[in-house]
Amino acid sequence: MYNQGPVIVMELPQELTQAGASSFLESLQPLLETSRPCVVLDCSQVRHIDSAGVEMLLHCLGEAMKRDGDLKLAAVSPESAVILELMRVDRLFEVFETSEEAAHSFRNFGQAASAPTEPWYSTGYPGDSLKAAS
Amino acid sequence: MSGDKAVRLGAIVVIAATNTKNEPRDTAGSSLPTENDGLVAGPLACVEIAGRSAAERTVERLRKADVDFISVLITSDCASSLPAFRTRWDNVQTLIVQDVGCAISQILADYSQNGIAYTFVTWADTYLETDLLDLFYFHRESRQTVTRAFDGDAPLALWTVDCAKAQSLPIEQLLHGRTAAPYFVRGYMQRLSAPGVLRQFAEDALRGRCEARPCGKEIRPGIWVDDGGEIQRGARIVAPAYIGGRSKILSDVLITRFSSIERDCFVDCGTVIENSSILAGTHIGIWLDVCHAVVSGNRMLSLERDVMVAISDPSLMRSIGSARVLPPATSEPDRGQAVVVEAPREQHPMAPVWQFGANFIQE
Repeated sequence: MYNQGPVIVMELPQELTQAGASSFLESLQPLLETSRPCVVLDCSQVRHIDSAGVEMLLHCLGEAMKRDGDLKLAAVSPESAVILELMRVDRLFEVFETSEEAAHSFRNFGQAASAPTEPWYSTGYPGDSLKAAS
Repeated sequence: MSGDKAVRLGAIVVIAATNTKNEPRDTAGSSLPTENDGLVAGPLACVEIAGRSAAERTVERLRKADVDFISVLITSDCASSLPAFRTRWDNVQTLIVQDVGCAISQILADYSQNGIAYTFVTWADTYLETDLLDLFYFHRESRQTVTRAFDGDAPLALWTVDCAKAQSLPIEQLLHGRTAAPYFVRGYMQRLSAPGVLRQFAEDALRGRCEARPCGKEIRPGIWVDDGGEIQRGARIVAPAYIGGRSKILSDVLITRFSSIERDCFVDCGTVIENSSILAGTHIGIWLDVCHAVVSGNRMLSLERDVMVAISDPSLMRSIGSARVLPPATSEPDRGQAVVVEAPREQHPMAPVWQFGANFIQE
């Protein structure tokens, strides 16, 4: 495991089954409980994934999103991709070729998210003109 | 051929684990795996597509060509994988053999003694819709011992043999010698060399691109349901599609884009089957997306990604073993002895509790 600034990159175990998934979750859970967790899971070592593994991924995604963060997948093998597609969860994750690309995407996301934005009603809100007129 | 009934015709259909009789073709650009890869246990010619195996369809074509007697030879290593033919024919015998070459020689001799003048010899994993009558006439006029079918430059596993003349030649020389007259086939052909071809064959049958038609009753235009097939209210079947005998499609299932569900399958609620073939005796779990794939038991070949995946979670996919009973077959050295084919064992027996991930929910 290594931390690229605010982005946490973790390598998933070879066996992402019930036993493997729960032990992995134990190590990831504290990191998910931080503010705006940005997590990349490197799937390059995954050789076996089942519904427990997929459920763990969904749990992690849910935890990250609850805290305004995100979870992205990297280096997903064709076999793992087939399982994710089969279980209809592929569309829930952003998937990248490498963990570096995935981590980089968080930086862009962070910049975009932290850029100052004006309230959408500040220009041309009909209510303003109505108030001014009154 | 009724005008030529003075000439008796025979046929030998060989079902073997691998077809070595077809010359390899250029597969550049093909994304299909080149071998069976363990998707199905036996030869692909025995796999039912839209209700019938290629082997059975070949036998049926031979019968329609007025062939008087047909011998189906199955090598002993794949004898258990032959599904029973849907129809029982009196003039079709099934033999389990060790040595295909010896068996062909023996049968040609038997045919000759019984007044059968010409014989078609074919391997079942080359499904051909050529005009057999035309091939026979061509062979007779060529006055050669053997005529071999060709697809362009590639020789095919289909021969016409003069039974009497064939006695004087060893079988290897007979079938692979350079003396055979070439006959160039026209019409639909499928070389069942890879599991992905099964998908193509199913699609072609459903789209009417070949003479092989889905079995069962066409309940709506382009939707065939075989005997005992059950589609629950709320399931959506987009034509063309095939639902095999005794298969059950639960509500909220979507079956679309030329998909075929073979016999004894079960597709659970909410699952989408798109451009896929579900082979006989497969259970597909709840709320899944099966797209561009061939599924057999717990194995799924993704044609899009060109990978085979074995699903270990029985709640997703599993085999629900069932088999038709093979018609009485005889082994070559001991003719008359019936062979019993056991139903394939379940690859993953049903768990006592329904399992999804780490949660156990009592049924």
